[in-house]
This record gives sequence, C-alpha cells and structure tokens, in this order.
Amino acid sequence: MIKALELTDLVKKYKNFEAVAGLSLTVAEGEIFALVGPNGVGKSTTLKMIATILTPTSGSVKVFGLDASRDAHAVRELISYLPEEAGAYKNLTGREYLEFMAMVFLKDKARALAAAGEGGLLSGLGPRLGDKIKTYSKGMARKLLLARAVMIKPRLAILDEPTTGLDIVNGYEIRKTIKALAAGGMTFVISSHNMGEIEYLSDRIAVINNGRLLACDTPAALKARFATDDLEEVFIKLTQ
Amino acid sequence: MNIFFVLLKKEIKELLTRQLLLTIVATLLVFQLIGGLVGSHNKASAARSGIVLLDLDRTALSGRVTKALGGGKAKLTLYAGGGIETALAAPELGAENSFMVIPAGLEGELKAGRPASVEFYSRFKKNASGLGPAMSASRIRRAAQAASAEISAWLLERNAPGLAPAFLMDPAPAREFAVVDGRTAEVSLAQVIGFIQSQTFFFPVAVFFIVILSAQMIMTAVASEKENKTLETLLSSPLDRRLLVMSKLAAASLIAALLSGAYMLGMRSFMAGVTGLGADPSVAVAAAGPALAKLGLMLTTSGYLLVGLSVLFCILCALSIAFILGIMAEDVKSIQAMMTPLMLAYLMPIFIDLSTAHTGLKVLLYAIPFTHAFMAPQNVMMGNYSQVLWGIAYQAAVFAACVTIAARLFSGDALLTMRFRFPGSR
Repeated sequence: MIKALELTDLVKKYKNFEAVAGLSLTVAEGEIFALVGPNGVGKSTTLKMIATILTPTSGSVKVFGLDASRDAHAVRELISYLPEEAGAYKNLTGREYLEFMAMVFLKDKARALAAAGEGGLLSGLGPRLGDKIKTYSKGMARKLLLARAVMIKPRLAILDEPTTGLDIVNGYEIRKTIKALAAGGMTFVISSHNMGEIEYLSDRIAVINNGRLLACDTPAALKARFATDDLEEVFIKLTQ
Repeated sequence: MNIFFVLLKKEIKELLTRQLLLTIVATLLVFQLIGGLVGSHNKASAARSGIVLLDLDRTALSGRVTKALGGGKAKLTLYAGGGIETALAAPELGAENSFMVIPAGLEGELKAGRPASVEFYSRFKKNASGLGPAMSASRIRRAAQAASAEISAWLLERNAPGLAPAFLMDPAPAREFAVVDGRTAEVSLAQVIGFIQSQTFFFPVAVFFIVILSAQMIMTAVASEKENKTLETLLSSPLDRRLLVMSKLAAASLIAALLSGAYMLGMRSFMAGVTGLGADPSVAVAAAGPALAKLGLMLTTSGYLLVGLSVLFCILCALSIAFILGIMAEDVKSIQAMMTPLMLAYLMPIFIDLSTAHTGLKVLLYAIPFTHAFMAPQNVMMGNYSQVLWGIAYQAAVFAACVTIAARLFSGDALLTMRFRFPGSR
C-alpha cells in the first residue's frame, strides 16, 4: 500500500489553545478518507496543515513520503486544497478563473489550457463559464471551485466541506464527481458534517473531538462496533 | 507565458473594475465641468461688473484721473445721477459692487496744499460666494493705485516742472537679485518663492494621491483575498510567495499611476478654468525661466530622473508597508483604520520644516522614507545630488526590508492567524 498521507502525533497550538492534540493516522493512495467531528474540533486546522499553509507545532505531516514542513514546495506540487466557504475572483469569468488557477498550479500554458478545459467540463457550467463569477449562484461558484481543485489532477485532493450550502442536485453531482475521480486513482481527504454524504463517499472515516482521534475505520465497521445502522448515531455516541 | 505576468494580469483585472474606470472618467468630467463653469462664471461676472465712477469734482484733475482709469482692465461706468447714496440705490447699477467717488473740491484742496481723499465703496451681498468679493477687492486696489499715481503725477508736474513725474515718483527703482548656492541672477523674489513653493508643496501633494490610492488598493487586495479565502488556495499552490507579493505590488502601482494621472489631468483643467491662466501653469514662470535656470533652479533631465527615481521608491515603500498592514488587517472593513498610521507618516514631513526641526525630530523625519522624495526636487535644485542618492539608497533598503518581511509573513502562519484590531474598531 502506498501511503498518500501520514499524520504522526500532529499538534497545533494557538497561544494557549490546542486545536490539534496529537493526531496520528494514515490514508492510502486512491482512498476517500473523511475527517468528521463537531464544529471547532480541529478538522480545518488539520486540513490546513496537510495543505502546507499552517505549520505544525509538533509532530509531522507526510504526503507521499514528503514532509509538509521541510518539503512544502514539493508537497504543493502533489496536492490541491479547497478551503471551506472559499471564494473566487469575482471580476474574472469562470473560464478565466480556471485558466488562471491552472497556470498557477501547472506553470505550462498548453497543460494549463487542457486542464482548464477539463475543469470547465467538470464544473458543468457550460456557457455560463463566459460570465463573471460575481453573477454566479453559491452552487455554481462551489462547482467551479471543486472543478478547479481537481482539474489539475492532484495526487491528493483536500476538500473542506465540499458540498456545504449546496442544493440536493448540486451536492449529488459533486459527490458523483469525487467518486469517479477516486476510481481513477486520486486520493481524497474530505471533511463534512453531512453523514449521509460521508457514508456514500468514504472508504474510511476518522472521528475527532477536541483535536484527538476517537475512532478510525470503514463506515460499516464503525456501525458494527456500535451495533447500529445509522452513522449519525455512531458519531453522537463517540463525541458525547 | 511568464507566471509573473499571469499573476499581474489577474491582479489588474481584479483591481481595474468597470466602477473604477467609470470613477476615472467621472473625475475627469467633473473637474472639466466645474473648472469650465467656474471660469465662465468668473469671466461673466468680471465683464458684468466693473467700477462705477462718480466725478463730483468735474475739474481737469478729475478728468485726467477718469481718463487714466478708463485705460485699465476694469470696465468703467460714469455715473452723473447724483451722490453715492443715489448711485447705490440706482436700479441700473444693481449688479455693480465697486464704486469710486471723486469728491467735489478735490483739485482745489490739493492746489492749496491740503490733503484730500478719493472714496471707494465696495458693496457686499449677503449671498456672495465664490471668487466675487475677492475679485471686487482686487479691482478697487488697482483703481486706487492708478488714481493715486495719476494725482501724484499731476501734482509733480505742477510743482516740479521740467522733471518727469515717473522719475520723481520712483527715482531709484529696486532691482531684485536672488543668490542660490553662489550663483546670482536678477529675478523677482516673488517669482523665485512661487517657483520653489510649487516644487515643495504641489509636488508632495501630487505624490500623496499616488501613495494613498495605491496603498489603499493593495491593502484591500490583500485583505479581500484573506476574507474570500482565495489566498488560502494560492498559498497551497507551488508558487513562489515572492511572486505573489511582487505581482500585487506591481498591479497596485500601475493602477495608482493611472488614477493619479487622471486626477492630475482633471486638476490641471480645473485650475486652468478657475484661474484662466491656461492649462500650462509653467507659462506663469516662463518669463523668469532664464533667471531661474541661471540660478540652477530649473531641473535638468538628469535631475528629473533622480527625482522620478526617488518618487518611485517612495511609492514602492508605501506599497510594501501597506502590504504588511493588509496582512495584519482583519477584514476589508478595517482598512481605513489601518491606513491612518501610513497617512500620518506621510503627512509629517509635509507639515514640519526640516531646516528648523531639532536633531531628534530630524532623525525621525529622515527615517520616514517618504521624506526623501519630498526633499528630492529641492536637493536637486540646490545641487545636493549626494543627499538625493543617499535618500534613494535608504528608500531602496526600506523597500527591500519590507518586501522580505511581507514575503516571510506570506510564507508563515501569520498570514492566516494574525489579526490586528484598533481599539474600538468593530
């Protein structure tokens, strides 16, 4: 098994507050791995450390064997990160945004144009790609951002609440896209509060609370452990 | 395509919105319109009102004074309907504000060697606004001077026949010389002071607009990227963080140059309209040009280049400081409060006279990188090239330090975790 991600005793402190308190887990290549937990327990902080934009206070993050602190630049070549409630540049059109981001990540015009073309298809926005992003609905913008995150074919995609605020149809389309890309070998680490989505998407789930890992297994194994068919019940029993 | 230009293009597209372009066009039009309106109003009111002369003396002297005033700039209206009360009440003179009365017996009193007066009345209207009252006062002053000169000439011709009155009135006219850095030229002191003031006041004000506009733009750009979380995406990309910093600095400088260019162009046509001097204010000092050049006060091409370089680094320093402040800003709303220290630092050297400041204050002022840009035109004019070059070197060092700090902040957690709040700000 190739380890796409390996967290070892990961700690992040903000002054006196410990947001992440010794988290250890591994994610295999091609897996869809979900990080779940109540609000403010360190999920987004963990994702930001994996995305190299926050530095761990102690412990380590390894992406395909590369240390996210020491080899941050090399790690950035392998990942793509979609922040929670991220925005896009409002005065660019959807197409311009995809082309710009593709150039930023791939730095080669031909590859960038090809990736942006694929991103356009993935977004499903069709002719609206020619419109400025400020005219988009929340769902359209989120689809564009997700397309941006995966169009460059990262080896590890980090998605923080990818379907929050989306309607049923848009959420369903995004989940289908993630599933299809994972089948193609892309690794996903996602965070979400939607347990139905988590159950549908994830190969394995890590439940965290107060920055600590409470459980990490497949949805089926977790349900069996707590003798229930409902993943939400598992979540509640673990976090209360 | 070079990734820097890709970033620059995106920054410009984000900054140069349709609203901003409309603002630029509107600024130009409003300045042009107001300048034109004020100019034509002033011309019209100047043409409408002049001086109403009441000659109650009706002698050779009063005729001579009337003739002298008739040759002046102001329109002269002779009123023969009675005294000043009647003239002020006369409906046909309702638009007139300036009245001159040559009292009966003026010539007789002067012939007898007794002092006498010519009276001037200025009518102020309660709703008077704009330049009207000032123009009226200036008309009266010129008329009084002309009348006094004519009466003096008449008296001198009578009492000292054979001698030219002009010679007697000013037998040893003053010649003014200015000495700058050992070079001497005959030139009016007022012209030299006017020229130096235009360089020392107008220039910093012009640079002020560029600095404040570009600083505000870059702070907003950084703060809004933080707020919209577009920055987090960029920071997770394999992009050199210094490129991100430099592309934002370059885009803000370009847009600021465009905006301030538009502003200065608008201001120029506004002033041209208001003063009626024409669009080129340098015409006003053109007459003194050769003398100013002899004194070394006119900037040469290399002088302009040095001043330009100093201004460029002044803008770059302001941008890089604003960039750091933008990183510290909590959100776009807090930008105005964050601008305050930068504006204070900018304004200090404008309002404090460096030549009279004590040593501690001087050190503080010279530590502000903007001071060197304000001092550059004067120093170049005075031949202090080494001081200008040292100033530029200092500005470049401040800029390099600020860019390094900004790039370091961009590379660490501070960008996402630093939150600076002014007390009381929401």
